[in-house]
Amino acid sequence: MDNRIIDSNWQIHWRITESAGLAIYLADFHGRRVLWEGSLPFVLVDHQQREMEVEEPLETHGPFWAPLGRRSQVSDVRIQSFRGGFELAADFAAGPYRYTQMWRFHDDGRIAPWLTIHGGGLHDAHTYHPHWRFDFDLDGAMEDAVEHFEDGRWQRISEEGWFPFTGDADSGGGVWRQVDFGSGAAVTIRPNAWEDAEVFAIRFHQGEWGPYYPHSEVAAQPYPAAYVGDEPLDGMDVTLWYVGHVHFDAAFPFTAGPWIRVTGLTARS
Amino acid sequence: MGMKPRPTPRKTVPARAQYADPDLFLPLTEGERADALRLVTEEKKLATMVKVGRYRVVSIEPLALKPPHERAGYRCARVIIYDYAADANVAASVDLENSDVFHATTSKRQPMLSEAEEAAAIGTAVASDQVASLLALGDEVQGVMHYWSRQAVDFAFRRRTAAVLFGQSGGTPSLVAIVDMLDGEVTEVVPADRW
Repeated sequence: MDNRIIDSNWQIHWRITESAGLAIYLADFHGRRVLWEGSLPFVLVDHQQREMEVEEPLETHGPFWAPLGRRSQVSDVRIQSFRGGFELAADFAAGPYRYTQMWRFHDDGRIAPWLTIHGGGLHDAHTYHPHWRFDFDLDGAMEDAVEHFEDGRWQRISEEGWFPFTGDADSGGGVWRQVDFGSGAAVTIRPNAWEDAEVFAIRFHQGEWGPYYPHSEVAAQPYPAAYVGDEPLDGMDVTLWYVGHVHFDAAFPFTAGPWIRVTGLTARS
Repeated sequence: MGMKPRPTPRKTVPARAQYADPDLFLPLTEGERADALRLVTEEKKLATMVKVGRYRVVSIEPLALKPPHERAGYRCARVIIYDYAADANVAASVDLENSDVFHATTSKRQPMLSEAEEAAAIGTAVASDQVASLLALGDEVQGVMHYWSRQAVDFAFRRRTAAVLFGQSGGTPSLVAIVDMLDGEVTEVVPADRW
Protein backbone atom coordinates (compact mmCIF):
# COMPACT_ATOMS: atom_id res chain seq x y z
CA MET A 1 0.00 0.00 0.00
CA ASP A 2 1.61 3.25 -1.13
CA ASN A 3 0.36 5.78 1.33
CA ARG A 4 3.41 8.04 1.38
CA ILE A 5 3.50 11.30 -0.52
CA ILE A 6 6.67 13.26 -1.13
CA ASP A 7 5.88 16.59 -2.73
CA SER A 8 6.16 20.36 -2.25
CA ASN A 9 8.79 20.15 0.55
CA TRP A 10 6.60 17.69 2.47
CA GLN A 11 6.74 14.00 3.20
CA ILE A 12 3.48 12.74 4.66
CA HIS A 13 1.65 9.45 5.21
CA TRP A 14 -2.09 8.92 5.24
CA ARG A 15 -4.64 6.29 6.22
CA ILE A 16 -8.37 5.85 6.59
CA THR A 17 -9.19 5.13 10.22
CA GLU A 18 -12.17 3.35 11.74
CA SER A 19 -13.65 6.48 13.29
CA ALA A 20 -11.32 9.48 12.88
CA GLY A 21 -11.62 10.06 9.17
CA LEU A 22 -8.66 10.51 6.89
CA ALA A 23 -5.66 10.73 9.20
CA ILE A 24 -2.22 12.12 8.39
CA TYR A 25 0.80 10.78 10.24
CA LEU A 26 4.54 11.27 10.32
CA ALA A 27 4.45 14.50 8.36
CA ASP A 28 7.83 16.16 7.78
CA PHE A 29 8.52 19.57 6.26
CA HIS A 30 11.99 20.08 4.76
CA GLY A 31 12.88 16.69 6.22
CA ARG A 32 12.04 17.63 9.80
CA ARG A 33 9.15 16.28 11.83
CA VAL A 34 6.07 18.50 12.19
CA LEU A 35 3.21 16.14 12.95
CA TRP A 36 3.10 12.75 14.62
CA GLU A 37 -0.56 12.36 13.77
CA GLY A 38 -3.51 14.57 12.86
CA SER A 39 -7.08 13.33 12.59
CA LEU A 40 -10.74 14.25 12.85
CA PRO A 41 -11.91 12.08 15.77
CA PHE A 42 -15.57 13.15 15.58
CA VAL A 43 -18.16 15.65 14.44
CA LEU A 44 -20.94 16.25 16.95
CA VAL A 45 -24.29 17.58 15.76
CA ASP A 46 -26.60 19.40 18.16
CA HIS A 47 -30.17 20.27 17.31
CA GLN A 48 -31.90 23.21 18.94
CA GLN A 49 -35.59 23.46 19.70
CA ARG A 50 -37.44 25.66 17.25
CA GLU A 51 -40.48 26.13 19.47
CA MET A 52 -40.22 25.87 23.22
CA GLU A 53 -41.60 26.95 26.53
CA VAL A 54 -39.72 29.57 28.54
CA GLU A 55 -38.62 27.01 31.13
CA GLU A 56 -37.33 24.52 28.57
CA PRO A 57 -33.67 24.26 27.67
CA LEU A 58 -32.70 25.18 24.10
CA GLU A 59 -31.39 21.69 23.50
CA THR A 60 -33.66 19.08 25.03
CA HIS A 61 -31.79 16.24 23.39
CA GLY A 62 -28.14 15.38 23.37
CA PRO A 63 -25.75 15.36 20.44
CA PHE A 64 -25.58 12.94 17.55
CA TRP A 65 -22.39 11.65 16.09
CA ALA A 66 -21.26 8.88 13.81
CA PRO A 67 -17.79 7.58 13.11
CA LEU A 68 -16.22 9.00 9.98
CA GLY A 69 -14.14 6.14 8.76
CA ARG A 70 -14.15 2.98 6.77
CA ARG A 71 -17.84 2.26 7.32
CA SER A 72 -19.06 5.75 6.36
CA GLN A 73 -16.57 6.42 3.57
CA VAL A 74 -18.41 6.87 0.26
CA SER A 75 -15.54 7.77 -2.07
CA ASP A 76 -11.97 6.80 -2.72
CA VAL A 77 -9.27 9.04 -1.30
CA ARG A 78 -8.53 11.60 -4.00
CA ILE A 79 -4.95 12.86 -4.22
CA GLN A 80 -4.41 15.86 -6.45
CA SER A 81 -1.78 18.49 -7.10
CA PHE A 82 -2.52 22.18 -7.21
CA ARG A 83 -0.24 25.10 -7.91
CA GLY A 84 2.07 25.24 -4.91
CA GLY A 85 1.03 22.03 -3.19
CA PHE A 86 -1.06 18.90 -3.06
CA GLU A 87 -4.24 17.75 -1.36
CA LEU A 88 -6.07 14.65 -0.21
CA ALA A 89 -9.85 14.44 0.04
CA ALA A 90 -12.48 11.83 0.90
CA ASP A 91 -16.27 11.86 1.24
CA PHE A 92 -18.22 10.46 4.18
CA ALA A 93 -21.94 9.97 4.76
CA ALA A 94 -23.71 9.19 8.02
CA GLY A 95 -27.50 9.25 8.05
CA PRO A 96 -28.58 12.59 6.56
CA TYR A 97 -25.14 14.17 7.10
CA ARG A 98 -22.58 14.47 4.30
CA TYR A 99 -18.99 15.58 4.69
CA THR A 100 -15.87 16.00 2.56
CA GLN A 101 -12.72 15.85 4.60
CA MET A 102 -9.51 17.22 3.12
CA TRP A 103 -5.92 17.93 3.93
CA ARG A 104 -4.04 20.48 1.81
CA PHE A 105 -0.27 20.90 2.02
CA HIS A 106 1.43 23.99 0.61
CA ASP A 107 5.10 24.27 -0.31
CA ASP A 108 5.49 27.32 1.97
CA GLY A 109 4.65 25.26 5.07
CA ARG A 110 0.89 25.79 5.33
CA ILE A 111 -1.49 22.94 6.10
CA ALA A 112 -5.25 23.16 5.68
CA PRO A 113 -7.10 20.40 7.53
CA TRP A 114 -10.62 21.16 6.42
CA LEU A 115 -14.08 19.69 6.50
CA THR A 116 -16.75 20.66 4.02
CA ILE A 117 -20.15 20.17 5.62
CA HIS A 118 -22.86 19.67 3.03
CA GLY A 119 -25.82 20.36 5.27
CA GLY A 120 -28.72 18.07 5.99
CA GLY A 121 -29.91 17.30 9.49
CA LEU A 122 -33.32 16.77 11.01
CA HIS A 123 -34.29 20.42 10.61
CA ASP A 124 -32.58 23.77 10.10
CA ALA A 125 -31.82 24.55 13.76
CA HIS A 126 -28.68 22.58 14.29
CA THR A 127 -24.98 23.10 14.86
CA TYR A 128 -21.96 21.07 13.77
CA HIS A 129 -18.96 20.71 16.05
CA PRO A 130 -16.04 19.18 14.14
CA HIS A 131 -13.16 18.13 16.42
CA TRP A 132 -9.64 17.88 15.04
CA ARG A 133 -6.80 16.43 17.08
CA PHE A 134 -3.23 17.45 16.30
CA ASP A 135 -0.21 15.80 17.84
CA PHE A 136 2.50 18.17 16.65
CA ASP A 137 6.05 17.00 17.23
CA LEU A 138 7.99 20.01 16.07
CA ASP A 139 11.48 18.70 15.44
CA GLY A 140 10.74 16.04 18.08
CA ALA A 141 8.09 15.52 20.74
CA MET A 142 9.52 17.41 23.69
CA GLU A 143 10.81 20.89 24.42
CA ASP A 144 7.66 22.53 23.12
CA ALA A 145 5.53 25.34 24.53
CA VAL A 146 2.01 26.47 23.65
CA GLU A 147 0.99 30.11 23.33
CA HIS A 148 -2.31 31.95 22.92
CA PHE A 149 -2.64 35.40 21.36
CA GLU A 150 -4.53 37.51 23.91
CA ASP A 151 -4.57 41.19 24.85
CA GLY A 152 -2.50 42.06 21.80
CA ARG A 153 0.43 39.70 22.38
CA TRP A 154 1.47 36.06 22.49
CA GLN A 155 1.11 34.66 26.01
CA ARG A 156 2.52 31.39 27.27
CA ILE A 157 0.01 28.72 28.28
CA SER A 158 1.53 27.12 31.34
CA GLU A 159 -1.21 24.60 32.14
CA GLU A 160 -3.71 22.48 30.27
CA GLY A 161 -6.92 24.25 29.42
CA TRP A 162 -9.53 25.55 27.02
CA PHE A 163 -8.63 28.60 24.96
CA PRO A 164 -11.38 30.16 22.85
CA PHE A 165 -10.90 32.56 19.97
CA THR A 166 -11.94 35.92 21.39
CA GLY A 167 -11.27 38.02 18.30
CA ASP A 168 -7.65 38.77 19.14
CA ALA A 169 -5.15 37.56 16.54
CA ASP A 170 -1.62 38.36 15.40
CA SER A 171 -0.94 40.15 12.12
CA GLY A 172 -1.21 36.87 10.23
CA GLY A 173 -4.48 35.87 11.91
CA GLY A 174 -2.77 33.38 14.24
CA VAL A 175 -4.44 32.73 17.58
CA TRP A 176 -2.65 29.69 18.98
CA ARG A 177 0.84 28.37 18.37
CA GLN A 178 3.16 25.60 19.45
CA VAL A 179 6.82 26.60 19.65
CA ASP A 180 9.85 24.32 19.75
CA PHE A 181 12.50 25.66 22.15
CA GLY A 182 15.35 23.84 20.43
CA SER A 183 14.85 24.97 16.85
CA GLY A 184 12.74 28.09 17.40
CA ALA A 185 10.26 26.68 14.89
CA ALA A 186 6.52 27.14 15.37
CA VAL A 187 3.17 25.93 14.11
CA THR A 188 0.60 28.69 14.20
CA ILE A 189 -3.13 28.05 13.99
CA ARG A 190 -5.47 30.56 12.40
CA PRO A 191 -9.16 29.84 12.94
CA ASN A 192 -11.90 30.18 10.39
CA ALA A 193 -13.48 33.55 11.21
CA TRP A 194 -17.03 32.17 11.06
CA GLU A 195 -16.85 29.10 13.22
CA ASP A 196 -16.35 30.42 16.75
CA ALA A 197 -13.37 28.13 17.25
CA GLU A 198 -11.55 27.03 20.38
CA VAL A 199 -8.47 25.01 21.20
CA PHE A 200 -7.93 22.53 24.02
CA ALA A 201 -4.27 22.12 24.97
CA ILE A 202 -3.69 18.79 26.69
CA ARG A 203 -0.57 17.04 27.86
CA PHE A 204 -0.07 13.74 26.09
CA HIS A 205 -0.04 10.70 28.37
CA GLN A 206 0.97 7.21 27.39
CA GLY A 207 -2.18 5.13 27.71
CA GLU A 208 -4.49 7.86 26.40
CA TRP A 209 -4.41 6.37 22.95
CA GLY A 210 -7.11 6.47 20.33
CA PRO A 211 -9.64 5.89 19.07
CA TYR A 212 -11.11 9.02 20.64
CA TYR A 213 -14.83 9.33 21.32
CA PRO A 214 -16.85 12.28 22.59
CA HIS A 215 -18.85 10.54 25.29
CA SER A 216 -17.13 10.37 28.66
CA GLU A 217 -18.56 8.91 31.86
CA VAL A 218 -22.16 9.58 32.94
CA ALA A 219 -22.71 13.27 33.76
CA ALA A 220 -19.07 14.09 33.04
CA GLN A 221 -17.87 16.62 30.51
CA PRO A 222 -17.52 15.22 27.01
CA TYR A 223 -14.10 14.87 25.43
CA PRO A 224 -11.80 16.66 24.91
CA ALA A 225 -12.90 18.80 27.89
CA ALA A 226 -12.81 15.68 30.09
CA TYR A 227 -9.06 15.37 29.44
CA VAL A 228 -8.31 18.85 30.73
CA GLY A 229 -6.64 18.98 34.13
CA ASP A 230 -4.10 21.35 35.57
CA GLU A 231 -0.93 19.68 34.39
CA PRO A 232 1.95 21.86 33.24
CA LEU A 233 2.62 22.02 29.51
CA ASP A 234 6.03 23.65 29.19
CA GLY A 235 8.53 21.24 27.72
CA MET A 236 5.97 18.43 27.62
CA ASP A 237 4.49 16.48 24.74
CA VAL A 238 1.25 18.34 24.03
CA THR A 239 -1.80 17.57 21.91
CA LEU A 240 -4.02 20.32 20.56
CA TRP A 241 -7.71 19.83 19.84
CA TYR A 242 -9.24 22.38 17.49
CA VAL A 243 -13.03 22.56 17.73
CA GLY A 244 -15.21 24.51 15.34
CA HIS A 245 -18.87 25.43 15.85
CA VAL A 246 -20.83 25.80 12.67
CA HIS A 247 -24.49 26.69 12.85
CA PHE A 248 -26.67 25.51 10.03
CA ASP A 249 -28.20 28.53 8.38
CA ALA A 250 -29.28 26.95 5.10
CA ALA A 251 -26.23 28.44 3.38
CA PHE A 252 -24.31 25.24 2.98
CA PRO A 253 -21.86 23.81 1.96
CA PHE A 254 -19.57 25.35 4.55
CA THR A 255 -15.89 24.53 4.85
CA ALA A 256 -14.71 24.46 8.44
CA GLY A 257 -11.23 24.09 9.85
CA PRO A 258 -8.12 26.11 10.51
CA TRP A 259 -5.10 27.24 8.59
CA ILE A 260 -1.89 25.92 10.09
CA ARG A 261 1.45 27.46 9.20
CA VAL A 262 4.86 25.99 9.95
CA THR A 263 7.62 28.56 10.30
CA GLY A 264 11.31 28.42 11.16
CA LEU A 265 11.82 24.85 10.07
CA THR A 266 14.42 24.78 7.32
CA ALA A 267 16.26 21.84 5.83
CA ARG A 268 19.31 20.71 7.77
CA SER A 269 22.49 21.41 5.83
CA MET B 1 -5.41 -32.97 21.49
CA GLY B 2 -3.58 -30.69 23.89
CA MET B 3 -3.77 -26.94 23.76
CA LYS B 4 -0.81 -25.30 22.10
CA PRO B 5 1.01 -23.15 24.65
CA ARG B 6 1.19 -19.45 24.02
CA PRO B 7 4.63 -17.97 23.46
CA THR B 8 6.08 -16.66 26.68
CA PRO B 9 6.18 -12.87 26.64
CA ARG B 10 9.62 -11.40 27.06
CA LYS B 11 10.22 -9.99 30.51
CA THR B 12 11.68 -6.79 29.16
CA VAL B 13 10.96 -5.25 25.82
CA PRO B 14 13.77 -3.06 24.57
CA ALA B 15 12.89 0.19 22.88
CA ARG B 16 13.47 -0.52 19.22
CA ALA B 17 12.90 2.79 17.53
CA GLN B 18 13.89 6.27 18.41
CA TYR B 19 12.16 7.46 15.27
CA ALA B 20 8.88 6.05 14.09
CA ASP B 21 8.43 3.39 11.46
CA PRO B 22 5.54 4.40 9.15
CA ASP B 23 4.63 0.75 8.61
CA LEU B 24 3.41 0.55 12.21
CA PHE B 25 0.44 2.77 11.30
CA LEU B 26 -0.71 0.56 8.43
CA PRO B 27 -4.03 -1.30 8.68
CA LEU B 28 -3.90 -4.62 10.48
CA THR B 29 -4.14 -7.76 8.41
CA GLU B 30 -6.97 -10.21 9.03
CA GLY B 31 -4.56 -12.41 10.91
CA GLU B 32 -3.26 -9.55 13.02
CA ARG B 33 -6.80 -8.58 13.98
CA ALA B 34 -7.60 -12.17 14.91
CA ASP B 35 -4.37 -12.42 16.87
CA ALA B 36 -5.07 -9.19 18.75
CA LEU B 37 -8.54 -10.34 19.73
CA ARG B 38 -7.31 -13.79 20.81
CA LEU B 39 -4.69 -12.21 23.02
CA VAL B 40 -7.26 -9.96 24.65
CA THR B 41 -9.77 -12.74 25.22
CA GLU B 42 -7.03 -14.91 26.75
CA GLU B 43 -5.98 -12.16 29.10
CA LYS B 44 -6.63 -13.26 32.69
CA LYS B 45 -7.83 -9.83 33.79
CA LEU B 46 -10.63 -9.99 31.25
CA ALA B 47 -11.64 -13.58 31.91
CA THR B 48 -14.98 -12.67 33.46
CA MET B 49 -16.00 -10.69 30.40
CA VAL B 50 -15.15 -13.58 28.10
CA LYS B 51 -16.80 -16.19 30.31
CA VAL B 52 -20.10 -14.32 30.46
CA GLY B 53 -19.80 -13.58 26.75
CA ARG B 54 -22.03 -10.55 26.46
CA TYR B 55 -19.61 -8.27 24.69
CA ARG B 56 -19.23 -6.63 21.31
CA VAL B 57 -15.94 -5.85 19.62
CA VAL B 58 -16.08 -2.17 18.67
CA SER B 59 -12.78 -1.77 16.84
CA ILE B 60 -9.33 -3.27 16.37
CA GLU B 61 -6.86 -0.79 14.95
CA PRO B 62 -3.09 -0.40 14.67
CA LEU B 63 -1.43 1.39 17.55
CA ALA B 64 1.85 3.13 16.72
CA LEU B 65 3.45 4.09 20.00
CA LYS B 66 5.59 7.13 20.40
CA PRO B 67 9.11 6.90 21.73
CA PRO B 68 10.08 6.73 24.54
CA HIS B 69 7.36 4.16 25.20
CA GLU B 70 9.02 0.76 25.59
CA ARG B 71 6.82 -0.71 22.85
CA ALA B 72 7.67 1.99 20.34
CA GLY B 73 8.87 0.34 17.16
CA TYR B 74 6.76 -2.80 17.73
CA ARG B 75 3.65 -3.84 15.83
CA CYS B 76 0.83 -3.13 18.30
CA ALA B 77 -2.95 -3.01 18.19
CA ARG B 78 -5.66 -1.24 20.14
CA VAL B 79 -8.76 -3.32 20.87
CA ILE B 80 -11.98 -1.66 22.03
CA ILE B 81 -14.76 -3.85 23.39
CA TYR B 82 -18.09 -3.05 24.99
CA ASP B 83 -18.91 -5.44 27.80
CA TYR B 84 -22.70 -5.49 28.18
CA ALA B 85 -22.61 -7.65 31.30
CA ALA B 86 -20.56 -5.07 33.16
CA ASP B 87 -21.94 -2.12 31.16
CA ALA B 88 -18.37 -1.03 30.64
CA ASN B 89 -15.85 -0.08 27.98
CA VAL B 90 -12.74 -2.25 27.76
CA ALA B 91 -9.69 -0.80 26.03
CA ALA B 92 -6.71 -3.08 25.60
CA SER B 93 -3.34 -2.55 23.96
CA VAL B 94 -1.62 -5.56 22.47
CA ASP B 95 1.95 -6.15 21.33
CA LEU B 96 1.61 -8.48 18.36
CA GLU B 97 5.33 -9.21 18.17
CA ASN B 98 5.68 -10.18 21.82
CA SER B 99 2.18 -11.72 22.04
CA ASP B 100 1.06 -9.92 25.15
CA VAL B 101 -1.51 -7.44 26.40
CA PHE B 102 0.54 -4.65 27.94
CA HIS B 103 -2.24 -2.24 28.89
CA ALA B 104 -5.93 -2.79 29.67
CA THR B 105 -8.48 -0.49 31.26
CA THR B 106 -12.16 -0.75 32.06
CA SER B 107 -14.24 2.38 32.33
CA LYS B 108 -17.74 3.78 31.96
CA ARG B 109 -16.78 5.79 28.89
CA GLN B 110 -18.90 5.13 25.85
CA PRO B 111 -17.05 4.06 22.72
CA MET B 112 -18.71 4.27 19.34
CA LEU B 113 -21.24 1.62 18.39
CA SER B 114 -19.87 -1.30 16.46
CA GLU B 115 -21.39 -2.18 13.10
CA ALA B 116 -23.09 -5.16 14.76
CA GLU B 117 -24.62 -2.86 17.38
CA GLU B 118 -25.83 -0.47 14.69
CA ALA B 119 -27.52 -3.42 12.97
CA ALA B 120 -29.05 -4.52 16.27
CA ALA B 121 -30.38 -1.01 16.90
CA ILE B 122 -32.03 -0.98 13.49
CA GLY B 123 -33.55 -4.38 14.17
CA THR B 124 -34.99 -3.20 17.48
CA ALA B 125 -36.41 0.01 16.01
CA VAL B 126 -37.94 -1.69 12.98
CA ALA B 127 -39.62 -4.29 15.19
CA SER B 128 -41.18 -1.66 17.44
CA ASP B 129 -44.97 -1.27 17.15
CA GLN B 130 -44.67 2.29 18.42
CA VAL B 131 -42.27 3.17 15.61
CA ALA B 132 -44.32 1.35 13.00
CA SER B 133 -47.45 3.26 13.99
CA LEU B 134 -45.75 6.59 13.30
CA LEU B 135 -44.05 5.82 10.00
CA ALA B 136 -45.46 7.14 6.74
CA LEU B 137 -45.74 5.00 3.63
CA GLY B 138 -42.25 4.70 2.11
CA ASP B 139 -40.34 5.67 5.25
CA GLU B 140 -37.22 3.58 5.69
CA VAL B 141 -34.13 3.53 7.88
CA GLN B 142 -31.82 6.38 6.90
CA GLY B 143 -29.04 5.69 9.34
CA VAL B 144 -27.96 5.10 12.91
CA MET B 145 -26.46 7.90 14.96
CA HIS B 146 -24.51 7.44 18.15
CA TYR B 147 -26.32 9.32 20.87
CA TRP B 148 -26.46 10.27 24.50
CA SER B 149 -28.87 12.55 26.36
CA ARG B 150 -27.91 15.52 28.50
CA GLN B 151 -31.11 15.19 30.57
CA ALA B 152 -30.62 13.15 33.73
CA VAL B 153 -34.20 11.83 33.57
CA ASP B 154 -33.62 10.11 30.22
CA PHE B 155 -32.54 6.50 29.86
CA ALA B 156 -30.04 7.75 27.29
CA PHE B 157 -28.31 9.85 29.92
CA ARG B 158 -26.64 6.85 31.54
CA ARG B 159 -27.09 3.94 29.17
CA ARG B 160 -25.60 2.87 25.88
CA THR B 161 -27.93 4.26 23.26
CA ALA B 162 -28.48 4.58 19.52
CA ALA B 163 -30.73 6.91 17.53
CA VAL B 164 -32.26 5.32 14.45
CA LEU B 165 -33.40 7.80 11.84
CA PHE B 166 -36.34 7.06 9.51
CA GLY B 167 -37.54 8.95 6.46
CA GLN B 168 -38.10 8.80 2.73
CA SER B 169 -35.11 7.76 0.66
CA GLY B 170 -32.96 10.83 0.05
CA GLY B 171 -35.32 13.06 2.03
CA THR B 172 -35.21 14.79 5.38
CA PRO B 173 -35.66 12.38 8.31
CA SER B 174 -39.19 12.16 9.65
CA LEU B 175 -38.73 10.15 12.84
CA VAL B 176 -36.08 9.46 15.46
CA ALA B 177 -36.26 6.23 17.49
CA ILE B 178 -34.04 6.05 20.57
CA VAL B 179 -32.89 2.51 21.29
CA ASP B 180 -31.55 1.36 24.65
CA MET B 181 -28.80 -1.04 23.64
CA LEU B 182 -28.62 -2.82 27.00
CA ASP B 183 -32.23 -3.99 27.02
CA GLY B 184 -32.83 -3.85 23.27
CA GLU B 185 -35.85 -1.58 23.63
CA VAL B 186 -37.12 1.58 22.03
CA THR B 187 -37.33 4.14 24.84
CA GLU B 188 -38.39 7.25 22.96
CA VAL B 189 -39.85 8.12 19.57
CA VAL B 190 -39.74 11.72 18.41
CA PRO B 191 -40.91 13.30 15.14
CA ALA B 192 -37.73 14.64 13.56
CA ASP B 193 -39.03 18.19 13.21
CA ARG B 194 -39.55 18.32 16.99
CA TRP B 195 -36.10 16.99 17.86
